Amino acid sequence: MLQFIIRRTCYSIITLLILSLTIFAVVRFTGDPATLMAEPGARAEDLARVRAQWGLDRSWPVQYYQFVQNILSGNLGISFNYRMPVSELYFERLPNSLQLALAATLLSFLIGIPAGLLSAVRVDGIWDQTGKVVALLGLSIPGFWLGLLLILVFSVYLEWLPTGGKGDWRNLLMPALALGWYFAASLLRLTRSSMLEVMRSEYIKLARLKGLPGYVVIAKHGFKNALVPVLTLAGVNLVVMVNAAVIIEVVFAWPGIGRLLFEGIFQRDFPLVQGVVVLAGVMIVFVNLLIDILYAYIDPRIRLMR
Amino acid sequence: MGGKHRRSLSSIGLTRRDLLVGSAAMAAQGPAPFMTPAAAAAANGTMTLAWHTAMAPRWLDPQEHDGTATPDNFLTALHDALIKNSGTTLYDHPALAERYEFAQDGKSATFWLREGVQFHNGEPVTADDVKFSYESYRGALASAFKAKTESVDVVDKRTVRFRFKEPFLDFLLLIGSGNVTGAGWVVPAKYYQQVGPDGFKRKPIGAGPYKLAYVEAGVKLQLEAFEQYYKPVHIKQFTIVSVPEAATRLAMLERGEADIIYGLPGELIDRVKQNPKLMLAPVLSGSFWLELVGFQDPSSPFHDKRVRQAISLAIDRKAINEAESGGLGKVSGNWINDDVQYGLTWPELEFNLEKARALMKEAGHANGFAVNWLTPLAPFYSRGERVVAQLQAIGIRAKLQVMERGIFLQRTQSGKQQWPGVQIIMHGARIGGTWVNWYESFFKCGGFNSADRVCVPELDAKLDRYKTSTDASERKLLAEEVQRAILDNYYLVPVFRHAFMNAIGPRIAAQKWQDVFPTITTGYAYPWEDIKLKG
Amino acid sequence: MSTTTAPNAIEFSAPSPLRRWLRELPLLPVLILLPFALMATFAPFIAPYDPTEPVPGAKVFAPPFWMVDGNTATLLGTDFQSRDLLSRLIYGARVSLIVGLMGTVVAGSLGTVLGILSGYIGGWVDQLIMRVTDAWLALPALVFAIFLATVVGPNMWNIVIILGLVYWTRYARVIRGEVLSLREREFVQLAEIAGASRLRVIVRHILPNVLNTAMVLASLTIGVVIIAEASLSFLGVGVPPPEPAWGLMLSEARSTLMAGKWWLTVFPGACILLVVLATQLLGDWLRVRLDPQQRNL
Repeated sequence: MLQFIIRRTCYSIITLLILSLTIFAVVRFTGDPATLMAEPGARAEDLARVRAQWGLDRSWPVQYYQFVQNILSGNLGISFNYRMPVSELYFERLPNSLQLALAATLLSFLIGIPAGLLSAVRVDGIWDQTGKVVALLGLSIPGFWLGLLLILVFSVYLEWLPTGGKGDWRNLLMPALALGWYFAASLLRLTRSSMLEVMRSEYIKLARLKGLPGYVVIAKHGFKNALVPVLTLAGVNLVVMVNAAVIIEVVFAWPGIGRLLFEGIFQRDFPLVQGVVVLAGVMIVFVNLLIDILYAYIDPRIRLMR
Repeated sequence: MGGKHRRSLSSIGLTRRDLLVGSAAMAAQGPAPFMTPAAAAAANGTMTLAWHTAMAPRWLDPQEHDGTATPDNFLTALHDALIKNSGTTLYDHPALAERYEFAQDGKSATFWLREGVQFHNGEPVTADDVKFSYESYRGALASAFKAKTESVDVVDKRTVRFRFKEPFLDFLLLIGSGNVTGAGWVVPAKYYQQVGPDGFKRKPIGAGPYKLAYVEAGVKLQLEAFEQYYKPVHIKQFTIVSVPEAATRLAMLERGEADIIYGLPGELIDRVKQNPKLMLAPVLSGSFWLELVGFQDPSSPFHDKRVRQAISLAIDRKAINEAESGGLGKVSGNWINDDVQYGLTWPELEFNLEKARALMKEAGHANGFAVNWLTPLAPFYSRGERVVAQLQAIGIRAKLQVMERGIFLQRTQSGKQQWPGVQIIMHGARIGGTWVNWYESFFKCGGFNSADRVCVPELDAKLDRYKTSTDASERKLLAEEVQRAILDNYYLVPVFRHAFMNAIGPRIAAQKWQDVFPTITTGYAYPWEDIKLKG
Repeated sequence: MSTTTAPNAIEFSAPSPLRRWLRELPLLPVLILLPFALMATFAPFIAPYDPTEPVPGAKVFAPPFWMVDGNTATLLGTDFQSRDLLSRLIYGARVSLIVGLMGTVVAGSLGTVLGILSGYIGGWVDQLIMRVTDAWLALPALVFAIFLATVVGPNMWNIVIILGLVYWTRYARVIRGEVLSLREREFVQLAEIAGASRLRVIVRHILPNVLNTAMVLASLTIGVVIIAEASLSFLGVGVPPPEPAWGLMLSEARSTLMAGKWWLTVFPGACILLVVLATQLLGDWLRVRLDPQQRNL
């Protein structure tokens, strides 16, 4: 187990290095980073300060070293607009994004898994057919369109829910739904196929022969085994959710990281944009590592994989 | 709903005599009543303003005022000035100063601070703070003030005297007018130097009616009534939230999550009109015009006057006014509002596509040309897009660039290199005081918002003559000459003067919208301390 | 060489049975995609008006023709500048389909090449490419795309390249897996023993067999790429206005939601939905044809 952790951690570190190198390269290759990183109207002293901080007049390896050093010490630059360290802004908004992501995941579990189970248990019935269509739709609907439709129906016409911003559970419901919809659809499909596979397995047939009642069989044996691929999907989905969250946060004016990035774009706040991208990548690598370890803990076969 | 109590400065015709009379009249009123703690306890309730763009922390610091209307919305809540614009008073409403005196020879101005005025941290506002604020001021008109000021003398703790190198007739006008400068706004010297400009923007302390409770960067500003303010502050909690989404702003208003909202787009005006609980506030406000970047550069397609004229002829101003302001704006011909001193009234500009096309052809652009970007002031992108569509009719193909207000202002202040290629900037501004403020901000060589993009030395020379002249009729003539030159040559192409469409919610006590928007020099709802809740 | 080449080699080295498939195309996805494809190709001939100019004489925010105040001149209604919605949808199909298709092609080519190199050559090349893939997968695609768009500036072809750069990783991994198993097959090993150069082996034996998988992957990712482009346009870093793109139209329609102008939101969104749905179905169908065992995925 320890070996696995060490190996995975090493991989993560390499990934992070490549990540930072990519971001670094993109900025340097596409123009003058000093212009990007200095505020408009910067005077000579400001430009000089920017050059010094990021080592822009040195050779590229030195610059990169400076870049990594800055990141490691948590110095991702100062936002032009907010005049605050980017890392501070990021962590200030992070809890909001996490709240949304968790709510979305929870909702999608609550919708996707029972629906998938139902589809599997009553395979090829009405439920199943409906489920298939819904799942397919879910994977095809752009999240922001769903969000806009939800606002149209529940906020504008029915006036049940607020249109956006942060508040209580009512503010959270629609964005969480719009964000988690895609995941719910995948979960539905996955749960269904997983369940079907398990239900047809010898293991379950044996349990049935033993005379155990149907729901016990499903609950105890089928469900647990079907859950394993769900965890994998959850890990993958985290990245999708961080992506989609940008859009959902904009549609619903939710004050999270995605919106921070979006605002940074129109404020041409380059340190902010770069900082958010770097931190988002770091977060994902970190969380993936945790999930990998968790997964390996659950399923011993994984530990032996390369 | 006519806002007919507007007075234009041109009818005042400021002279030295008027200034002296004014200050004497103010002194005759006596010092304003100091607010007792008992009166302060009356402040209760909450009010939420939904602001229509992102919020830049820079706007909380009067020291970096950018000479536009935007910072004033925030400064009037957190800070206070010696004299300011308020209600129907254009520039000399006594605020921190209970009275002032402007010398006969125009070479000095003395202000007496009100007794007992404090900053939010309990420190008294002293003449030293005034001196510090004025001397370290770095924003719009800073260089103008510095060039003319001989010294700032602290006569005693509550008296400060500004002495000028030569007669500075416009001093009071400049320092008190809205949307022009922040030099007259007083910040606590000790605190400012302690935390530095960046720290100050994150935790500003001022002498205004509201103090900062907390700020969520870029999202929310939570303010609390300042008990020790010298005027009664009616509403205890004042929240300003940044909601760039127009539909969300309106939804917030309808649901009671916001009490005042700014910037309704054209298509939502009807919805407000049809709702008996809401009140529409169409405040005739700023002017919008096009700057054809690089028009003085021979290699630019805008260099040819015919092209510029064609552009002006291609714009259907009536349609834009209808669509954007419900027809409640003004399709005037001058980019400078005519409610400022010597602001020239110009007839409505012509809309004639045929003539425009003919001119384009004459100028050698029969097939038009491409423009890299047309960038409007945020969040007025839809009117920018309308102009883009209208220009297409004469073959000019532009793309719309979306840019948040804070950075837009920064870039206009930084000059040509921020606007490479062929670009059009759609400015929108509401500037107070005199026509000079407009000119100096947006047209002068090295002006605060024109930087190095515009420079017509002959007109600048006329401005200098205007400034040194003491003859009112000569001043008027020069003012009109300069403005006429700009308009005749289409150096700038006016679009329209919009009605800033705002809306008021049911909780605010208001018989008519002017009760909430009483200040005639702005489209914003200050003075904040005067707003009351119903019941 | 004698005529007794291994029978397997002929069977699997032949080009994919494209003709056979064409005969058995699934009805629904094709029924959906074909009109859109035609719309995109023949937009200037089909669209009733110029999508960036106001329709002369039309009202602003005219609803679809079957509603009150609607007009048959502007079938699906008009937007805030009285531009015809139908024309904008038709031209918008161009942006979505071109970017979707080209983006997928770029991503697919890049990913396939890297996947093949990674799988076939192995060793440090494999390690390097896999680490880069991990790294790029760690960057949320949209966030990265936004970042790139901010740096290079938004216009249609930049977006194509950006999306290609962001989505190639999906291919690399899967193709690599395929190649790894292909590498062990007899016909490949035979070719290697026969002295064929690496390049020749790749081009003649590996590539054709990998193409099937690549095509399935392509049909699955095209939907994702189309949504990504719509998202970028929605956020304002895609195709700049006034050029019509479905995502941009949704973005512009946001404030009109409250004013009840539902057609400006529903129609562009429905277009995106239909196209993505169709590609999803197509992808599913392809995947089933390719390997019935994967039916349940």
